[in-house]
Parts: sequence; structure tokens; C-alpha cells
Amino acid sequence: MTDKIVVLEISGLEALHLAGIVGQFRDVVTDTRRGDDPAVARLLPDAYPDDDEATREFRRLTGDDLLGRRAADAEVVLRTLGMDGGDPASDGDPDATLTVALGEEEALSWMRTLSAVRLVMATRLGIQDDDDHQPDDPRFGIYDWIGYRLDGLVTALDRR
Amino acid sequence: MPAIATPDLDTVDDTELTAVPPSSWQTVVWNDPVNLMSYVSHVFRTYFGFDSATAERLMLAVHHDGHAVVARGPREVMEAHTHAMHDYGLWATVRKEPA
Repeated sequence: MTDKIVVLEISGLEALHLAGIVGQFRDVVTDTRRGDDPAVARLLPDAYPDDDEATREFRRLTGDDLLGRRAADAEVVLRTLGMDGGDPASDGDPDATLTVALGEEEALSWMRTLSAVRLVMATRLGIQDDDDHQPDDPRFGIYDWIGYRLDGLVTALDRR
Repeated sequence: MPAIATPDLDTVDDTELTAVPPSSWQTVVWNDPVNLMSYVSHVFRTYFGFDSATAERLMLAVHHDGHAVVARGPREVMEAHTHAMHDYGLWATVRKEPA
């Protein structure tokens, strides 16, 4: 057993939302038609901006590995939340507070997943520069909330 | 983390290979509006083993200058670093060291 190094306290409602979002994220990265999705493309940046052939070759060698790791990380998040990412309404009690204790590898899976989910959301929201932020749009609220959770996790990891 | 590829040390008797110095490639990380500053610093510190001040300086260079060279060396190693940065969701590229 690995030692638990990070403990997250998260409301049941927050956990339900998070599991729903991470479940959707997992579905996006495992979709066989994912090659056409700009949000998936953001997870596989062009390694050689001025050389299409080298970029393609790099993506051929690394793309499946990266998307496979995104799916595996997402599974870790869902498992440690105690949810499978399916129908959010069927899981958990929204009024309870969940305590999620993570080992180091699990914490890193969470960190990479929250970061990747933000990248996908940013693509969907059309965020292209630092000023593209609309506080009135509730989707930005979720985006910011995931950023807040990510920042807290990074801070906890850095404190060790 | 994907394993970091180490340079292949097989001896090759081909003088052409020695024409390119091993340090002539770079891994470059570019600014984006999504990744958090704390996260980028954390990745630089934990992946490359930079001390906090170096990681912070490079993160700020990415943020303010738009990009920063985070590693120099043989092409395969720079590609391995770029693969690792992509694993964290950072926007990294490989390029030849500008002359």
C-alpha cells in the first residue's frame, strides 16, 4: 500500500459534478472518432510547428500513449471518488462530505486530469487568450472551480 | 510519467553523425491561457528537478515572454521531454537551436 499524502474534502454535490465531467472527459479521449475533435488535438500539441511531417511522426509515436494515459488517469479519479462516471444522479449523497485520501500516484493522476479537463473545456469555451473570460457564463464557473481544485492540489503536493 | 529516453550510446562508425553536436536541439514550452502558473512551476520543478527559483523563473519567462527554453541536448532527449510536457498538458515543441 502506498501512503496517503493528500486528503481532499469535497461535498457530495461537488463530487457528483466532478465525476460527471471526468466521465465525459474519459469518453472524449476514448472515442474512436477523437481524431477530428479540436479538444483532443489540444491534448496532443504539434511538436514541430514548422514541420508537418515530423509533427505527424511524433504524434504517431506518442498520441496513443498520451490519450491512453489520460483515460487511465481519469479512471483513477473516478475510482478514488468512488464513482464510475456514468449517470451522476445514481451515485452518492449530495449532502454528504466526502473525504478522498490519495497516494502520490493517485494525486498525480488527479492533477493531470484536472489540468487536461481544463484544456478540453477551454477549447469548448473558445478560450484563446488571457482575456477570454465571461464571468456571467456558468460554464466558466465550472472551469474556474476546477482550476481552484487544481491549484489546491498543486499547493498540497508542493508542501510536502 | 513516461520513461525519459536516455541517449542511445551504441557506437556507430559513421563520421557523419558527429557533424551535428549533441546539444543542438531544444525543448520549448509556450504560453497558453489555461495552465495555471502554480501548476507549470510544479511541473518544471518535479519533472526537470529544477530548484524552486529556477522553476519559477522559467514559468515567468513562459508567462511574460510567451515561451522559454527548458532543455537543450540531443534530439531524442528533447523529444522525450516534449512528450513528458504533453503528458502534463503543457504546450511544448522541439526545435533546432537557433544559430
